[in-house]
Amino acid sequence: MATLNLRGVKKSFGDVEVLSGVDLFVEDKELVAVLGASGSGKSTLLRLIAGFDKPTAGTIELAGKEISSVTKVLVPEKRNIGIVPQDAALFPHLSVSQNIGFGLAGWSSKDKAARVTELLEIVELLGFADASPDKLSGGQAQRVALARALAPRPAIVLMDEPFSALDAELRTRLRLDVKAILQNQGATAILVTHDQEEALSLADRVAVLRSGQIVQVGSPTEIYNSPVDIGIATFLGDAVLIDGEVKNGKVVTLLGALNPLNKVIEGQIGRVAIRGENFYLLPNPKGEGEVIGQVFFGHDAVVEVVTKGLKIRARSNGPFAPEVGMKVSVWVRGSVNFYPV
Amino acid sequence: MRKPPALLVVFGVSAALFAVLPIGYLVLRLFEGFDRALAELLRLRTLELLGNTILLVTAVSISALLLGFAQAWLTTRSNVKFASMFAVLAALPLAIPSYVMALGYISIFPNFSGFFASWLVLTLATSPYVFLGVTAALVRIDTASEEVARTLGLGRFQVLRRITWPQVRPAATAAVLLVALYVLSEFGAIALLRFDTFTRAIYNAYRGSFDRTSAAALALVLLIITLIVIWFERRYRGVYLANTKALGKRVRVDLGSWSWVAMAGLALVAIVSVGVPILSLLVWSVQGSASLNLTMLLDALWGSVRLALISGLVIGAFATAVALWAVRYRTKLGVFVETVTWATHALPAVVVGLALVFFGANITPWIYQTTWMLVIAYMILFLPNALAAISTPIAQVPRDLEDVSQSLGVPANRTLFKVVLPIAFPGIIAGVALVALTVLKELPATLLLRPTETNTLATRLWGATEDLAYSQAAPYALLLVIIAGLPALALNSRARKALSEVRG
Repeated sequence: MATLNLRGVKKSFGDVEVLSGVDLFVEDKELVAVLGASGSGKSTLLRLIAGFDKPTAGTIELAGKEISSVTKVLVPEKRNIGIVPQDAALFPHLSVSQNIGFGLAGWSSKDKAARVTELLEIVELLGFADASPDKLSGGQAQRVALARALAPRPAIVLMDEPFSALDAELRTRLRLDVKAILQNQGATAILVTHDQEEALSLADRVAVLRSGQIVQVGSPTEIYNSPVDIGIATFLGDAVLIDGEVKNGKVVTLLGALNPLNKVIEGQIGRVAIRGENFYLLPNPKGEGEVIGQVFFGHDAVVEVVTKGLKIRARSNGPFAPEVGMKVSVWVRGSVNFYPV
Repeated sequence: MRKPPALLVVFGVSAALFAVLPIGYLVLRLFEGFDRALAELLRLRTLELLGNTILLVTAVSISALLLGFAQAWLTTRSNVKFASMFAVLAALPLAIPSYVMALGYISIFPNFSGFFASWLVLTLATSPYVFLGVTAALVRIDTASEEVARTLGLGRFQVLRRITWPQVRPAATAAVLLVALYVLSEFGAIALLRFDTFTRAIYNAYRGSFDRTSAAALALVLLIITLIVIWFERRYRGVYLANTKALGKRVRVDLGSWSWVAMAGLALVAIVSVGVPILSLLVWSVQGSASLNLTMLLDALWGSVRLALISGLVIGAFATAVALWAVRYRTKLGVFVETVTWATHALPAVVVGLALVFFGANITPWIYQTTWMLVIAYMILFLPNALAAISTPIAQVPRDLEDVSQSLGVPANRTLFKVVLPIAFPGIIAGVALVALTVLKELPATLLLRPTETNTLATRLWGATEDLAYSQAAPYALLLVIIAGLPALALNSRARKALSEVRG
């Protein structure tokens, strides 16, 4: 059972507190994404788990054994943790197979060769066994880095923004590959990223890290649909914030009375966060809204509308998106999250 | 293929002839007197010289590698305090000619001589080459790859051996070969410290007898050894120079309480390599200031500066011509000429000087013992350096500009003068300055070839040490460090780059 358990982990560099009490539990064979903006302390967290730095407070347990505390830090080479750095960081003086086999020091040469071949097959790079790392494309290098980390069957794999150096199309494809490979190997993993789409599409659970603390943990749908505060709501995807007041169990706003998703108290004043896809636009010559801008993406479009003095950004079915200058009526579909002030 | 202007061809071909003829003549003469040369070489003394030379080269190469590597690792990879300052101190010995360093020591400890003394001084003088090369390589390794190795089961020392060292090895090898060439051609320091290697023996054989066959035969052996090392060095030069990869991310190793030991070590090296010799020269200069012959000093200063200026301009002109021909026209002959002028790179100055003595005395007596003979010697020795410095700015002028200029009606040859040269001018001037500063420090060829009435700072310094008058030599040595050593280090683009990269 390779569970990872962080309790009250803090880390300061001089006077600057980067992590201020992180609690996180990762189940066996689970993929958890730690989502945070740059400077939120994501990389510091990974370095603590890997054993490169010592926490200023708290403990880290791996598979039930304490590996980091304020007094004692198990050296990285004894932790049985695999890491996949941002830019792959392959050993430039070794071939692809030598890179993958690097961590298999105690293995017989037969087992080693078999394991390397198995991984080359899984990452679909059998033809590159003897290639030098500088002959690989960015995506290939990243797959080798993953294979290298997985080879010794580590208790947990840590991935630090592994896709950020790749172009958009490759990124999407590689994400699916990586997920399949991790599942195939039954690996427990932590993915650190600032890309909400990446976190939501890959992870079993997402932990949102903000100014050194984990502010919400949950499944991707939970996190996306029920962000616990406005900050997370806007961070996870663009949302329009509109003032509202609770009356008769509903939130009354300029765009009508909306159904709240969360618990509300009568008379509360606050704001609702409405995502682009929750807006419904109907072309209507008598509508109160006017389209002032449109960005077309093909499969969908973002339409900017001014209505009742509010500026909203709605996602609309690409080919049928209303065009600039058109009059529209605006509805809100489904329920919304209400955040009292 | 465009045709190069005739002027370039004339300059280029003569540069190549200068480079090749004297050495060729030396070899030819030896074959004429083959029996006598062979008899000279088959003496036990030759074997002894060979043993001493190889011993010194090997010992200095190893110790300079260890020292330079340690300095580079500590300043770029550890959290040692004042890393930038220690990096500057590690490069500083480049500003002190090795014979000046040797003078600094021998003037305090008159018995400081022999193998150990030569080994110590040359290690301190050459370790900056390793330091700079290894630093440039170290800052380009992404420390993430080292961290990955840690998670895959390697301890800290194993990471250094299996991940860091293999990536630094090409640069370190190239630097060590450079050190080996330096020691092979070193004359001043070894002669001052009285250790018998080829360079000292060649000079003494030439000075000590009218029969020059012995000197020439020994020079030929040294030439062959040098060519072997050069051959190795060529294979690694590319790796050494082409560091275009982006800088890697760097995490510094926390040394803990070892930090103080590291600082003490770095400080000790700086004291021994720079502090002691410079302080010694300062003290001697002050002590001897009463009896300092200022006229003599100014005369030598003028002699040095005059030679440096003439040589800088002449060599700069030839280098510019060869670079233009080879880089902008790329005709077969142009590239061939560039290769030939490169061939003399790293030849010991004693060998070049001796070859020119033979050539001058027998073939061109009309310039023998004139300033021009010296300028030719400097050209053979330093044209490769000038070419390296001047080729880059010339190659960097976009070819499109030439096309545009010609499309606007300016013929190719005039485009060269109106577009290419003005743009490359700052780089060319830097190359000329570098050559001039190198000429200021040159000793053995100057000793062999200077006209009797010409004195330079280096030859005056040498003359004083031959009379064991160290207090008289000291001000000349200090002046050399100030007007030649320090500016040359400041102009050294590799040093500047490496030092600026230590931080970060």
